[in-house]
Amino acid sequence: MLQYTIRRLLSLVPVMLIVSIIVFMIVHLTPGNPAFLILGEDASAESVAQLEQQLGLDKPIVVQFFDWLKNIVTGDLGQSVYSSEQVKTIIASHIGPTFSVTLLAIFIILLIAIPVALFAVWQRKTLLDPIFISVSLLGVSIPEFWFAMLLVLGFAVTIPIFPVAGYIPFAEGWFEWLYHLILPAFVLAAVEIGLVARMLRDGMLEAVNQDYTRTARAKGIRESVVLMKHVFSNALIPTATVIGVMIAGLLGGAIIIETMFTIPGMGSLLIDSIHRRDYPVIQGVILFIAAIYVLVNLCVDLLYAFLDPRIRYD
Amino acid sequence: MKKSFYLCTVIGLLLMLGLAGCAQEGAGPTGKEEESQAKGEPTKGGTFEVALASEPDTLDWMYISATVTRDVSWHIFETLFALDHDFAIKPMIAEKYETNEEETVYTITLREDVKFHNGAVVTAADVVASVERWRKISSIGQAASEYIDEVVATSDTVLEIRLKEPYNALMDDIAASKSALMIIPAEIAEAANEQPLLPEQIVGTGPYQFESWDRGKEIVLSHFEEYSSRTETDWGGLTGEKVAYYDELKFLIVKDPQVRMNGLKTGLYDYAENISPDLYEVLESSPNIDRVTYMNGYSTITPNKAKAPFDDLKVRQALNHALDKKTIAEATYGNEAFYSLDGALFAPEQTELYSEEGTDQYLAYDPEKAKSLLADSNYNGEPITIMFSNDNENYKKIAQVAKQQMEEVGFKVELDPYEWGTYLERWLEPENWDLVVIGWSTRFSPNELGLLVLDTARSGWYDSDRWAEAIERWGAARSSEERKEILTEMNHTVNDELPFFKVVNETRLDIKSDKVTYDSWLGQRHWNTWKSE
Repeated sequence: MLQYTIRRLLSLVPVMLIVSIIVFMIVHLTPGNPAFLILGEDASAESVAQLEQQLGLDKPIVVQFFDWLKNIVTGDLGQSVYSSEQVKTIIASHIGPTFSVTLLAIFIILLIAIPVALFAVWQRKTLLDPIFISVSLLGVSIPEFWFAMLLVLGFAVTIPIFPVAGYIPFAEGWFEWLYHLILPAFVLAAVEIGLVARMLRDGMLEAVNQDYTRTARAKGIRESVVLMKHVFSNALIPTATVIGVMIAGLLGGAIIIETMFTIPGMGSLLIDSIHRRDYPVIQGVILFIAAIYVLVNLCVDLLYAFLDPRIRYD
Repeated sequence: MKKSFYLCTVIGLLLMLGLAGCAQEGAGPTGKEEESQAKGEPTKGGTFEVALASEPDTLDWMYISATVTRDVSWHIFETLFALDHDFAIKPMIAEKYETNEEETVYTITLREDVKFHNGAVVTAADVVASVERWRKISSIGQAASEYIDEVVATSDTVLEIRLKEPYNALMDDIAASKSALMIIPAEIAEAANEQPLLPEQIVGTGPYQFESWDRGKEIVLSHFEEYSSRTETDWGGLTGEKVAYYDELKFLIVKDPQVRMNGLKTGLYDYAENISPDLYEVLESSPNIDRVTYMNGYSTITPNKAKAPFDDLKVRQALNHALDKKTIAEATYGNEAFYSLDGALFAPEQTELYSEEGTDQYLAYDPEKAKSLLADSNYNGEPITIMFSNDNENYKKIAQVAKQQMEEVGFKVELDPYEWGTYLERWLEPENWDLVVIGWSTRFSPNELGLLVLDTARSGWYDSDRWAEAIERWGAARSSEERKEILTEMNHTVNDELPFFKVVNETRLDIKSDKVTYDSWLGQRHWNTWKSE
């Protein structure tokens, strides 16, 4: 197990290297230049040239790449072209909001998807099953921005229960934190609930007629216990995969939701940095997202062994 | 067992939602009955929250000319001289200035006991260091620098700016409200030198001082207790008496326009900038929202004069006759409150600079004439590229309508939209475009007209001895009559040579809570304004 984990962690190195080469090329080949963007339309050509030199953008691109790579290896992601802040610090300050909204969204997803799937399987022979599953799939079909607008209009403007936008860090009070995050987390969750519920239901339906389930029933165990203990736990593996990918995606930032609720998270950081051609920040954020994907997938794989004792990695 | 656990969790969450609702009702925006309260008596204290449409790159008002930088920074920094409510130049940190007979030495006396936010008193040495930095990094300072020989402090409160030759636009440059000559402590000016100021270097003399900047989220300023205010109550603009009524000024970054409006509606913000003109009439019926409008420069179409076909004046004339600006304006801005048809280089509010004379070619829509001019010209039917930034809805609409009108008289036109960053880069190369659509913010001197700086991409590589001469005469002009005459000549030059086509003067729409007493000018200023509870 330990060996496997180390091997997987080592595989991060080539992945990150490939990602960094691709990102660096894409970012630097995109037209636009931070010097023009900082100085604006009134700038003289001399000022632009001077700033380019300060930022090191006048060097050949290969030199720039190796300079950057050298720093990355030593753990230095560089400085923002705009604020001169360390990229590490910038990412650290934006991960909090993204992590918060992800956490809450996953909580809401599980809170709704699991009962819906259980109920659907329990009522699998009635009309309630297709109805429940169709309703939970509605969320997948609604565009995020539109659903967000509807929710804001309904529950923040017309009936002012929730704030229109904003983010309060957890450190400033858990209640305010939660209160500001409920709408955005709900919108993010709505898209995924149906997916998870369906995944779970299909997995459970497969298990529901297996021999071991029948044996369990034959032993006289109540149907609810059969469902929870024998059926539900066997449907968890494919669901864990889906949720893992979901968490990785959400931790990379949700641009639309962050913009609509003014949450200063990873998504808005990435899009702002792209508009500003803030090369070090774009590269840093994408490397960070790539690392998250690899790590979350590793966690999911390790979780398999826990969910299904038959799986061994040694 | 597990089922009941889920049930409990669901009920728990619902309860939490309910509680949240109650809490909001208690602490939320004050009820309607309070709206009718008198606004007359100024109230001190509290936090004033502003929703900004974009985040400034830096708060260094000297370093860049961006409007959003200006709008936040002029609460923190001040200049030696500044524009008053009528856009006339008045002293700010300075007490007065005088010149010698040849007008080559400007002696500026500072007000005594003007304090920086770090507690130090402004001395002539601080001003000299600020001027030196301004000469290096400000686009306006760089231009002025050509005339400046040296800047010397002659005592603690007096300094001299010695010129190589008379340059009468110097005061305009010193009082400019973009890339401004803001006064900062000498040690900071020297330490920052040609770099933008770091957060810890944001030390000015203004009524609010810098507290914190949480990037992507908010900029917080606080009331500066020891602010040395001027006493003139009738100057307005950026000078005269300034009272900071709020304890705290928060600029929140809210990029989505719908959120800015909803936030103001629900009392989350007190002031929100840059609202779409489409909402102007909707806002009329919103009970607790007031509209704030102010001039915002003008939109233009600039031809590339470095290559065919627009190097040919006849083609430019044909284009001028092809454009029906009234139709363009109606299609682009909709409501007439948001544009005015005016061919002058400055806005009517700028009484010292405004001259209408010589702008008769501004509205010259005549498709027949355009067709015949085009037939006589060098234009041989090659496609014309109109480049614009698709980040701005207005430029996009102007380009679309212009395309249609140009095609009617026989131009072949292609639209070429880019994202702003790409646009800025492509703009610099003459091969990339034939026409660009872009807006220019309000300027306060002919020297600041970026769209007419000769032989640059901004002016479409305009090359004109006549304009160069007019600018030179402007620098040497002594009386306001002489200046008026030069301004008229400038209008005539633009009219005859058509270096660009002015579309219309634009008006910008901000909104504020009706509890806020506010005096609209040019951009948002939150001193001398207060919020009644």
